[in-house]
Formats: sequence, structure tokens, C-alpha cells
Amino acid sequence: MKLYEFEGHEILAKTGIQSPFFVVCESLDEVIQARKRLKFPIVAKVQTLYGRRGKSGGIKKINNQKQLIAFAKQMFGTRLQNEIVKYISVAQYVDIAQEYYISITYDTKLKMPVLVYSDYGGMDIDEVKKTDPDKILRIGIDPIVGPNQKEISKVFKNNTSIAQFILRLWDVFSRFDCRLVEVNPLAKVTNELMAVDAKIILDDSALSRHKDLEVMPKGAISAIPTDREVMAGKIDEDDYRGSAGTTFIELDGDIAVLASGGGASLLLMDSLIAAGGRAANYTEYSGNPPAEKVQKLTEITLSKSGISGCIVAGAVANFTDIYETLTGFVLGLVKIKPKPKYPIVVRRGGPRQPEAYKMLEKFARTKNFDIHLLGPEIPISEASKKIVELSQEYKKIYGNSN
Amino acid sequence: MAILIDKFARVLIQGITGRSGVQVTSELLNYGTKVVAGVTPGKGGQVVDTVPVFNSIQEAISKVGKIDVVMVYVPPYSAKDAVFEAINAKIPFIHIFVERIPILDTSKMLFEAKKQGIRILGPASVGIISPQEVKIGSIGGPDPNQVFAKGPIGVISRSGGMCSEIAMLISSSGLGQSTVVGIGGDLLIGTSFADLLLEFEQDIQTKAVVAFGEVGGRAEIEAANLIDEGQFTKPLLVYLAGRFAEKLPKDTNLGHAGAIVGMETTIEDKIKVLRQAGAIVLEDFTQIPTELKKVI
Repeated sequence: MKLYEFEGHEILAKTGIQSPFFVVCESLDEVIQARKRLKFPIVAKVQTLYGRRGKSGGIKKINNQKQLIAFAKQMFGTRLQNEIVKYISVAQYVDIAQEYYISITYDTKLKMPVLVYSDYGGMDIDEVKKTDPDKILRIGIDPIVGPNQKEISKVFKNNTSIAQFILRLWDVFSRFDCRLVEVNPLAKVTNELMAVDAKIILDDSALSRHKDLEVMPKGAISAIPTDREVMAGKIDEDDYRGSAGTTFIELDGDIAVLASGGGASLLLMDSLIAAGGRAANYTEYSGNPPAEKVQKLTEITLSKSGISGCIVAGAVANFTDIYETLTGFVLGLVKIKPKPKYPIVVRRGGPRQPEAYKMLEKFARTKNFDIHLLGPEIPISEASKKIVELSQEYKKIYGNSN
Repeated sequence: MAILIDKFARVLIQGITGRSGVQVTSELLNYGTKVVAGVTPGKGGQVVDTVPVFNSIQEAISKVGKIDVVMVYVPPYSAKDAVFEAINAKIPFIHIFVERIPILDTSKMLFEAKKQGIRILGPASVGIISPQEVKIGSIGGPDPNQVFAKGPIGVISRSGGMCSEIAMLISSSGLGQSTVVGIGGDLLIGTSFADLLLEFEQDIQTKAVVAFGEVGGRAEIEAANLIDEGQFTKPLLVYLAGRFAEKLPKDTNLGHAGAIVGMETTIEDKIKVLRQAGAIVLEDFTQIPTELKKVI
């Protein structure tokens, strides 16, 4: 889970990492109140997750109230690289003597945490990588004992405060199960190091052992989750058996997707687009989840209006009980109001698939659902073509919206 | 021939009394894998199928003798302790089936295992199958012969489902597989795509390798480097999935924990580097058998 900058600062503070004083505001009124606790100049920063805030004008040094009000009015509610600005942080401006880049993340090749450091602070690290790769220092970290203090103090012998900072940063990274902790810039302000920015990504698989961390729920691809994204994210919360809805991405198409398996879900989405279809969502269940998890995910996925077709597809399963999971689908389907008239294509294979199809066939016949069953011998790409064709026919008859 | 394991391997299952543990035990015994012991703390003395259950790996070894492979089927937050128990018992091969293990725990296991020269497959790995020889993990489920057939093609995928899907395509075209390996969907995994290419290079049964690649990470780049360096010389066919996601914001996480948009490299870069190295990058997944027949 990617965090807002201000949430990042709050976590950094838990290990004593300082940041310039700031107040997070949700409205113009709050901005005006916050301003009373700070002295000009101040820095106003929109809080978004995915944009390059600096480059898109979301971070501004501000010298007086008039400028501040104008900035807040302009920013609240606008879209910055497709993300609505809901929060603005108003922070104390600090005089920076020197800037550094510092982060800890995982190196998938070394298979261990790695410290990344550069004297070129305040710049996009990917740009530095392209133009001055030798200005980036990477040091692997033993995940069991933490950074090698001897090595760190040798590398940073002229800058002992950085060496100390690294230990604190590691403390954050390991204590709170982060996938990334990045401070850019880390600023030297009158002999103190301050995190002027904070980017933290928490490890989703470890969230439930940090229930004490107060972070806001996030959407899959935007800061503000849709109701469906929030609900889908909760399915796995207290039940580790299999997974359903771990990732739920709201998209703007009309074909509802219930994919099964991490790899097959990607293949399905690619082939759906190749066939000319537009997905209403991306989501996936796998690892042999119990029926009730699939039921919940089905209800959430199909609660969207304007759906003109649904595809339930996955690769040939190894250990996922197809009867169990498709039973979950049926239990979810019958709860949908109004009753779906749109076509449903199912393409599955694996344990108890024949029994599952017998059950589905009877269900469709007696309860009058338009379900098309494709066996494992039909490729996923064909199933995608089928649902695109059927949904186009459906739209011809019923129009674009239910 | 097979890579990584053979039919003489003696297997212990951690978490054998759980739902997945019980299921996999019978599947493996039916396929001929030598499951000689199981461990669930506090449940020593029970029997799962025909396999005795012990309270610890040490106890199991003292009763049944040497163990070559440990399979880990425990809840995610218990996985670290289970794997360290296997590492401390000097088991040379640890297969981790468990999904959703915190990355920090995984990095600790992988770090310690590497130090001690122990191979880890996974986490979140469906297992390995060398058709008509042996299987480890849940790959192929209760009836592997429906999908897998013996032959000259090596298969690698993060995804368990895609292992079967690719194998089914290959088998129904009349070809078969040497070994199929699910390497696991997590961000950090013990045995990589490149590690396996080195194994397949040495295996005389394997004439070509098919790999299912995904968005995120740099596994395919490492594989391309091996070809460039002449360390892998057999035909390599790769299908890359997740193009739809390239339009989504950077850092978006998809189905597998390791499938992260824009992380380390893009699909376009992967395709370019693989093609430059001489690998065959397929545009259409269903073309796998046709393309294979051209190169073997």
C-alpha cells in the first residue's frame, strides 16, 4: 500500500526522523486555520500518490496569505495526473544547505534489502540513473541483523549524521514491513537532517500485523478508493485461506472480470483488450479460496451498473477446487439486483470442473441465466472473444446501460 | 532425467495436518513421490494418509531418517519459523507453497538459505513436476496426467495456473514436458527464471524452454543476459503478460505480489532485450506449440 507523504512523515517520526512542521488540510477553511500555526514563507504541497507533484505544479513555496488561498482554491478538487486532490499539506519552509537522496527497498536480483544513496538529492532518481549512474550508491543489507555499521561508517566517514540516519531508516523499514522507504530530498538544515519528503510503500502481505498503524484505505490505482475497491480489499482481511480481491482495480469498461490466478488474470485482460473489449474492472481470486470469498467478490464485482457481460476465467487449476469456487460465484450471482440478463462466459479447468459445469448448466437452465460454459480445451483468448461478441449483441438489444 | 529433484527424493511436509497439507499428501503419494514424514507442532503421533506426523523436523529425522526435500504448507505468518527450522536441520531443498508471506520474512529466509547453500523454491510456488517421474507441491492437482505428459520441453512460470495451461497446450499438440516449475509469484523468490535456465541447459532431456513472463521485475532481463553470455544455448520461447497494465500508474500491484507496474523495467524493455538476445517472444499465447515445433 502506497502512502500519502504526510502518512509517511508520521511513520518516520516513530523512529525519531524529523520533518519540517506541517498541517494536513482538507478544505480552504482548514488551510486558513493551519496558516496561523506557521510563519511565511511556507510550502504548500498537494497530497497525491502517483503524480510527480513537483513537476505538475502541486508543490509551491508561498509567501503570503493571498498566494496560499489562491493555491488552495486552485488545487482542491482538481485532477493532478488523473488523481483528485483531496488533501493539501501546509509545511514550514526550511533553508536547505545540502540535499541527498536516500531509500531502502528490495533488490529482486540480490534478493535482499538494499540501501540506495545519492548526493544528487531532490532530483528524480530514475533520471540520475540515466545521466549519472555512478552517482548512485547501492549497499545490500543483511535482513536479519540490519545494516553493517562498520561498512556504513566507512562509506560515510565524512558524514556521520547520514550513517546514523541510515540506522533510523532501517528501523522504519524493518519495524513496519515496508516495501519502500524513500526520503528525497533528505535535507541538511542547520546541521540537522530532515526528511523534506517521504514516500513509503507498505507490504500488503504484512498489513494485518500492523493494525496499530493509522493509514487511510487506498484505491488500487488512485488515492481515493471506490467503495468496491475498499470492500474487495477487506475480503482477505481475517482469513488467510486462498485470496480474493487482494487487487481490485476499478476500470471504465462494461465487461465485468472475475479472473482466477495471478498469471492467467494478466493473460485474460490482455486478450480481452485484444478482442476489442473493455473491462469494467480487474480482479483476481486464487489459491483455493472458500466459496464465501468468491461469493463476496462476485457480489462486489457485479454491483457496478452498466455491465453488459461477465467473464469468469482462469488457467487450468492445480489445486483450486473449481466446484467450490464456482459455487461461490453462483451464490454471489443470485444476490445481484436487478437480476443480470447479460451474458456470462465461464472458462475453467482443474479439480472438479466437470461437476461444477454440470451444476452451472442446471443452474442456468432452471434460474434462467445466460451462461456459456467453455472447457479447458478452449483457449482463454477464445473465451475473451466470445464474451466481447456476446456483450456486443447484448448492447444491440438492450442499449449501453441497464 | 529431470531437473531439481528426482524420484528418489525423500520428502517431509510441514503443516501436513492443515487443509492443503492433507490434500497434497495423498496427491503426492498417488503420483509416487516419497513422502516419508509430516510435521505439525503439537500433532505428533497422528497419521495423514499413510504418513507419520511429528512435532519437529529433528524428531522426524531421528525416526524416519534422512530428508531431502521439505515442503512448507503452513499459514503465512508461521512460514518464517517453519523455513528456519528446515534450514537449521540442513535440508538441502525447501519448497515454499505458502502465499502472502511478508517480504521481510522471505528476505530473511532467502538470506540465511543462501549463506548455507540451501536451495529455496518459492514462496508462492505451486511446485515442480517431471511427468511420469516425480512431483513436488500441488502442481497438477489430483490428476496430473490429464494435463502433463513426458517430453522435451522445459516450462517456467511464476503462476501455478499458467504452468498447467502451458503444459496442456504442449501436451495436446503431441509434445510433452521434461520438467515444469512454478517459481512463485512473490517479489523475492529463491529460485529465479535464470537459475532454472542453467539447470535446463544441463538437462539432456530438455530441447527447448517455454517461459511465461509478467509485468514487473527484471527476471527476463537476467535470462537474456545468460543467453548473451552463452550460458544458455537452447531455444527459449517467452510469452509476456500484463501489457494492459502498462497504462496504469507506476507501482500498481497486480495479481502476483511481484507483478508491479513499472518496477525495475517495462514489458517493452523486456521484449526488446529478449529479442536482441535471440529468444522468441510470442505475441499469441496459443502459438506456443507451433513455434516449438519449428525450433526443436
